[in-house]
Amino acid sequence: MADPKNQSSFMSSLCFGSIEEDLILPYPQMKQPERETLKNIIGSLEQLLKPHEKDFRVWDRAGELPPAFIEELKQFGLFSLVIPEAFGGMGLSATAYSRTLQEAAKYDASVSVTVGAHSSIGMRGLLLFGTDAQKQKYLPKLATGEMIAAFCLTEPGAGSDAASITTTAVKEGDHWVLNGNKLWITNGGIAQFFTVFAKTGGVGERGHMTAFIVTRDLAGISTGHHEDKMGLRASNTTTVHFDNVKVPLENVLGEEGKGFKVAMKILNSGRTGLGGGTVGAMKKLIELSTKQAKERVQFGKPIAEYGLVRQKLGHMVVECFAAESAVNMVNHFIDSGHEEYAVEAAITKVFGTEALWRTADEALQIAGGNGFMCEFPYERMVRDSRINRIFEGTNEILRLFIALTAMNEVGGELKELASSLKGVFDNPIKGFGVLSEYALRRASLATSVVKREKGAFTKLHPAVKEKQEQFQELTRDLAAAVDRILRKHGKNIIGKQFATKRLADIMIDLFVLASTLSRVSTAISEKGATACTKELEILEVFSGQVRRRVKSNFNKIDDNDDEHIKSLADHALDAEGYTWDNV
Amino acid sequence: MLFPMKILVTAKRVEDPESKIKVKPDGTGIVPEGLKYKINPFDEIAVEEALRLVAKHKGETVVVSIGGKEVHEQLRHAMAMGVDRAVWVNHTGPLDQMAIAGLLKKVCEKEKPDMAILGKQSIDDDQNQVGQYMAEWLGWGQATFASKHESLDSDAEKSKTPALVVGADGKTVKVVREVDGGLGTVECTLPAVVTTDLRLNQPRYAPLPGIMKAKSKPIEELTPAGLGVDVAPKLTVLKMSAPAPRKAGIKVPDVATLMQKLKTEAKVI
Ligand SMILES: Cc1cc2nc3c(=O)[nH]c(=O)nc-3n(C[C@H](O)[C@H](O)[C@H](O)COP(=O)(O)OP(=O)(O)OC[C@H]3O[C@@H](n4cnc5c(N)ncnc54)[C@H](O)[C@@H]3O)c2cc1C
Repeated sequence: MADPKNQSSFMSSLCFGSIEEDLILPYPQMKQPERETLKNIIGSLEQLLKPHEKDFRVWDRAGELPPAFIEELKQFGLFSLVIPEAFGGMGLSATAYSRTLQEAAKYDASVSVTVGAHSSIGMRGLLLFGTDAQKQKYLPKLATGEMIAAFCLTEPGAGSDAASITTTAVKEGDHWVLNGNKLWITNGGIAQFFTVFAKTGGVGERGHMTAFIVTRDLAGISTGHHEDKMGLRASNTTTVHFDNVKVPLENVLGEEGKGFKVAMKILNSGRTGLGGGTVGAMKKLIELSTKQAKERVQFGKPIAEYGLVRQKLGHMVVECFAAESAVNMVNHFIDSGHEEYAVEAAITKVFGTEALWRTADEALQIAGGNGFMCEFPYERMVRDSRINRIFEGTNEILRLFIALTAMNEVGGELKELASSLKGVFDNPIKGFGVLSEYALRRASLATSVVKREKGAFTKLHPAVKEKQEQFQELTRDLAAAVDRILRKHGKNIIGKQFATKRLADIMIDLFVLASTLSRVSTAISEKGATACTKELEILEVFSGQVRRRVKSNFNKIDDNDDEHIKSLADHALDAEGYTWDNV
Repeated sequence: MLFPMKILVTAKRVEDPESKIKVKPDGTGIVPEGLKYKINPFDEIAVEEALRLVAKHKGETVVVSIGGKEVHEQLRHAMAMGVDRAVWVNHTGPLDQMAIAGLLKKVCEKEKPDMAILGKQSIDDDQNQVGQYMAEWLGWGQATFASKHESLDSDAEKSKTPALVVGADGKTVKVVREVDGGLGTVECTLPAVVTTDLRLNQPRYAPLPGIMKAKSKPIEELTPAGLGVDVAPKLTVLKMSAPAPRKAGIKVPDVATLMQKLKTEAKVI
């Protein structure tokens, strides 16, 4: 990687039809000393959490992690994972952090979310934007857990539309006065350190937002009762209220007025923590389901011998491997200093949370009636995994984000061309006559005659050649589709969510496939194809699934029911219900 | 007044019993792929006991492991639990129990600990011989299978009280040990070799700050040649095989059939 900072993201390039293979090859591996440390962490974490396996169920019912257990987590050092060594932390890389959260998630999602909300979002702003003085002051306390951190963005009226928050901060002399109410704040009731977002440009003025460090000792802060939830019941979720809280001027986090950017950066960089959590939970479910399937006998045989049970298990393995590959890849982007990873991080969140949801659902199905019983872990894992598709950006919002951000550069180029070559795009044939690089590129994509630069992998192992070619073909199709959709809708693409979602789904599939392809190819280069037969099978299955899904999504660009679906939604909205009940 | 103690412990790298262990089809060993490794659980108990003694008496703990570079993982694990420093005997290839005891003897002569605490056996080949050989060759006292009077849920265990008791003059150690059908107590003069049984203590987990500290604790490298020990195996493993799978049980309709089957088929009555 030449200068990691000057590169566009893997997915932005892919939208042009370029495969930036150096970003994803070889498949990243952790360095030996960190791997050794990580193994020790995982071993210790197991010793810490395993004896509590029965407690987690009780705490889920009770809806709380007991203070003594939180104390045990602090003593263990679990709140210090991402804090630099100089401030008393473990200084883990994104890769090692994500792998540690996986391990916690295997035992209990409430534990991994308590730790994750602290490290991934609660104090992430301090790490990314804090001044030296701020870091000196808070990081050592955050590392020991003397301070637990929370991230306060959501409000009753502002969920996905975070820019519409109404909490305000007004500068008065040597402090800011903070007023407002935050909703569903993870760790709200146990945190001493809050990253709070407030409007600093008067009410209603979109965009003028600032991030603040607010500590529990300031007068005027209160937290509501612990919410009664479907899942993650033992993770603390409360409202947080600010009533004329005087926040010192030096507690501004990042630049004044740049709070929205701060919030988005935090969420982007924290997302792989959640991705790691989903992979951990999937691994655990595969363990549980395989044992269950071998033990349960029906019709005289263990149900593991029946095709429909094995089908579920096989799919679980493929999804877990694919999700893990993508999560590791994005962590590698972060650890190697590549700054453009927001789209790919969002992809791992969407893919990981949905793969976990399917896996948890099928694992429960394999367990049958037992799966529905609270004495088995399946129902809890299903309940716990549901929230993942909602928080840290709903998967709908993230799909829009993925597609629109990745296409942005193409759109930019289109726009430039549109102004300089007015009218050209109305007539693409004439457009080709204009020797613009862009048009040539498009022509080559459309016909695949002209070899486009970086349109193909050059460093994959020959054993995956067929999958490589399929990926390249899908990449050309993606670039063509992006081009067509942008031409068709122009800036109105913002309102075309059906089309955008289709592109997002294609992009999600392609990034996860690229990561998987890289992983399998690298494994073959290292160990030889005969030692990688299972990996090759996974690739075979996953790349087949992706190819079929992507093709189907391409077809649906023209051949779809969108208008009817919208019309039926309108109908239901109008009637506020279903209108064919004939009783 | 308590005398400071120097205690040497061992940390063998063994296959994690929770990973699936398969014998290679040709019987030359086990399939390494997909295996996880950890510190021998009996050694972990030894580390714990040493740390408790030194917490009480002050002094120093040293951990030894023999193997390739990968055993650093186990050395770091012991140091993350609190052991002060490590000795790594760098050797790859098969070792029998006599070679291991020979190497450990040399390390003991070099380190001169007051006590060496080892697992009573390692869970990979379950030999249960190294501690005994070592004590014999060093001419030290030995107390094998150290155990606890109280249960592992006792308050003494919760407060991390050591089960080995060193005499007030610092010259002897009293050890409760498991014997057939109960417990016995032996007292031996120091230096001595103690091997640990399962019910001696509940090893602590290494907290993350401990793991961080362990990263900078020293590992001294030694070799069999440097120690002057010939490690050529006197014992050769000819073949490994998995235990034969157990036959499925059967259900019998009544006691009479059971009796009859026990007589004619099982031939036990
Ligand atoms: C257990 C839990 C813990 C949480 N922890 C925190 C925390 O620590 N800190 C914090 O700040 N917040 C937290 N949240 C809040 C969480 O981030 C929000 O719930 C989330 O952002 C979604 O907002 P919302 O619930 O208001 O849903 P809404 O934004 O109201 O969305 C409702 C539905 O509409 C869809 N939708 C909304 N806008 C659009 C659009 N433009 N186009 C298409 N579809 C759209 C959404 O995808 C969703 O399906 C937590 C929530 C929960 C449940």
